[in-house]
Amino acid sequence: MARTPLDRIRNIGITAHIDAGKTTTTERILYYTGRSHRIGEVHDGTTTTDYMEQERERGITITSAAVTAEWKGHRINIIDTPGHIDFNIEVNRSLRVLDGAVFIIEGVAGVQPQSETNWRLADRYNVPRIIFINKLDRTGADFYRAAETLKEKLGITWVALQLPIGIEDSFKGVVDLVGMKALIWEGDELGAKFHEAPIPDDLKDRAAEYRQLLLDTALSVDDAAMEEYFDKGDVSVETLKRCIKKGTISGAFRPVLCGTAFKNKGVQPLLDAVIDYLPSPVDIPGIKVAAAEGEEEEAERRVIKADEKAPFAGLAFKIINDKYGNLTFVRVYAGVARTGDMVLNTTKGHRERIGRMFQMHADKREEIKEVYAGDIVAFVGLKDTGTGDTLADPADPVVLERMAFPVPVIDISVEPKTKDAIEKMTIGLQKLAGEDPSLRLRTDPETGQTILSGMGELHLEIVIDRLKREYGVEANVGAPQVAYRETITRPHTEVYTHKKQTGGSGQYAEVKIVFEPLERNQGIVFENQVVGGAVPKEYIPAVEKGIRAQADTGVLAGFPTVDFKATLVDGKYHDVDSSALAFEIAAKACFREGMKKAGPVILEPIMDVEVTTPADHVGDVVGDLNRRRGVIQSQDMAGTSVIVRAHVPLKEMFGYISNLRGMTKGRASFSMQFHHYDPVPRQIADEIMAKSA
Amino acid sequence: MRLRWVRGRAAEGDGPDDPDRTREWVGCDDAGEAIARVVRVSGPVRAGWRLRYAVARDAEARVVELRPPVDRNRRWLIVIGGRVVGRAALPLQAVRGAEAALGGG
Ligand SMILES: Nc1nc2c(ncn2[C@@H]2O[C@H](COP(=O)(O)OP(=O)(O)OP(=O)(O)O)[C@@H](O)[C@H]2O)c(=O)[nH]1
Ligand SMILES: [Mg+2]
Repeated sequence: MARTPLDRIRNIGITAHIDAGKTTTTERILYYTGRSHRIGEVHDGTTTTDYMEQERERGITITSAAVTAEWKGHRINIIDTPGHIDFNIEVNRSLRVLDGAVFIIEGVAGVQPQSETNWRLADRYNVPRIIFINKLDRTGADFYRAAETLKEKLGITWVALQLPIGIEDSFKGVVDLVGMKALIWEGDELGAKFHEAPIPDDLKDRAAEYRQLLLDTALSVDDAAMEEYFDKGDVSVETLKRCIKKGTISGAFRPVLCGTAFKNKGVQPLLDAVIDYLPSPVDIPGIKVAAAEGEEEEAERRVIKADEKAPFAGLAFKIINDKYGNLTFVRVYAGVARTGDMVLNTTKGHRERIGRMFQMHADKREEIKEVYAGDIVAFVGLKDTGTGDTLADPADPVVLERMAFPVPVIDISVEPKTKDAIEKMTIGLQKLAGEDPSLRLRTDPETGQTILSGMGELHLEIVIDRLKREYGVEANVGAPQVAYRETITRPHTEVYTHKKQTGGSGQYAEVKIVFEPLERNQGIVFENQVVGGAVPKEYIPAVEKGIRAQADTGVLAGFPTVDFKATLVDGKYHDVDSSALAFEIAAKACFREGMKKAGPVILEPIMDVEVTTPADHVGDVVGDLNRRRGVIQSQDMAGTSVIVRAHVPLKEMFGYISNLRGMTKGRASFSMQFHHYDPVPRQIADEIMAKSA
Repeated sequence: MRLRWVRGRAAEGDGPDDPDRTREWVGCDDAGEAIARVVRVSGPVRAGWRLRYAVARDAEARVVELRPPVDRNRRWLIVIGGRVVGRAALPLQAVRGAEAALGGG
């Protein structure tokens, strides 16, 4: 396959509110770029990117599939991302490795709550965007009103590159304001042809008005273009395109296109816009290396630019296990990689050999032999590379800026319907957790139950479903629970002697352990300070093992205990009766006794909640958040809305959405993400303990 | 009245990738006489202990503070004969505003 020069590559995402039409649009793109020859419909369950079975059944996108398409001599790598908040991790990691995005909004509803959340995520990574107003064929669609919500809800400067010709049933094409001509589709069916035509008479005035607005906005980013305009009273199409690209990349304004993916209108010009206005890997600054240990977040850091001649550097952003094995999706930032190459996983510090590499076309794949800076590829054969790890040339072992992952805050217990499937279930869940950094797995040692932690109920439901389909394990699940933690608040020293003399060989071990609280997020730290062999060296690991195992079951209500330090300071042993097992048992008991006296508390996840509400409902919203034990952080005007930010315990947020809708007649929206863990108030701790007893 | 517009003073860019940008266009008549300017207001700007919400340079390049502060959406001032006669969101709109204010053919 011919090499695609860097400036002809586009790495883009398609992001939007749930159901806005991302998958349908991606399908059309694949069709028109000649990759799939039969169009898939979401409602038929035959789309290419939604290839997981449950995606087909539910008609929503769960994972993001990376697909490659060719358009007019360019290679477009597209990542179709889900709209639902529970799968935010997918949007998050995609935006991190993409250079630009197509942001879809609906022609009827305009900007919806999840569009706002995803828009801000894209802001965080400075991703250049073009906007596609979809579903103009639907009853009630209104291009101009939908576009106005961009300003109202997102507070952005948008500029139309197209205007619709007809609307709803009669929608038949667009006015191209750059070329000042009409594009008319000759049918609704897939692959319907379109032709150029003069702008219809009834749209001439409006087209002139919006063309002027386009010139006013676009030329303002380029002085030379302004001069060309002053000279000639207009500018060339090339100049105008150059200005639109410049403003799109800098974010000075956001270009808007429109159509209906479902009825096959507007997709080809959208593809043209992707190559004309979204940046290639060389149009963007590059990626920063991670801050070194102890270095300020803000400090000047080295930037890796897209350069084929530089040493290889790439970021693993997604892992998929499928029937062919383990696929690691990598965005290559610099250099070249070839099959068989040895690279360094600089995050974990070990070498990896690239077995084979593939360009992915949804669930089909094309094997390639080398990959260059700027491209996206899937490696096969990596042994231990996780999402967010850097792969680099051993000669220049850079570590790229890591991705931030959300903390899973909802727990469910899972057990197989048949006892003999327990091993299969564990393997399946471990693989799924390996693909998804927002999913964690642990075993409750008391009950032996497997506990799965995730981002939300839908997230966990999907995992259970995949377990069934991909690993053939049917599971019973418990009701979703807040993922509480336990910790201690003051130091305490505990001595415990484990002694058992029953006939033959006995058991004997004594440990003296100091338990101390640590700052949040420090996990568990174990230290050995025994001197003079009071506890023989070979038994120390058993003490640590006992502590860590027992910490999974906190002393108050059985939740994992975190953020404490255990220091083994002294102990006793017996020449004959002591063993590793005896020390492990002693350490466990010492933990159980000692923790009770170290001021144990239950921690609960506190969420960063953001509510966008019309100004006239702010009072209700704030009052309600206060009743939910929320602490208001800020209130800001955004257009005619107010954005209220608050820290609220997750426990109080179950069922919030319907409450919020009722309170504001459906006009407010909210999003939340984990912020930190805090001790729960006394009364609630009592409730939790009563429940677990 | 149609004028011939040329670059006025520039503002410093943010570094090598961001060249200096023209923050002022000067409208000249056929004789080359400057008769109108459109100027981009910047701000808020901190000057010593004072925060100035909106500042611009006058014809002599002195920094002047504008009161009341210009709303953020209309940052371009239309200046004719040293007097601000209008405001606009974008430079081309300001230019049309200046030409319209001067009236005549
Ligand atoms: N009338 C109309 N329906 C559309 C259009 N585009 C998509 N749809 C329909 O809208 C529904 C949702 O489309 P999807 O493409 O699955 O939306 P999505 O944004 O990928 O949704 P999630 O992945 O679940 O967030 C499907 O039933 C589509 O057939 C359109 O242009 N017009
Ligand atoms: Mg989808």
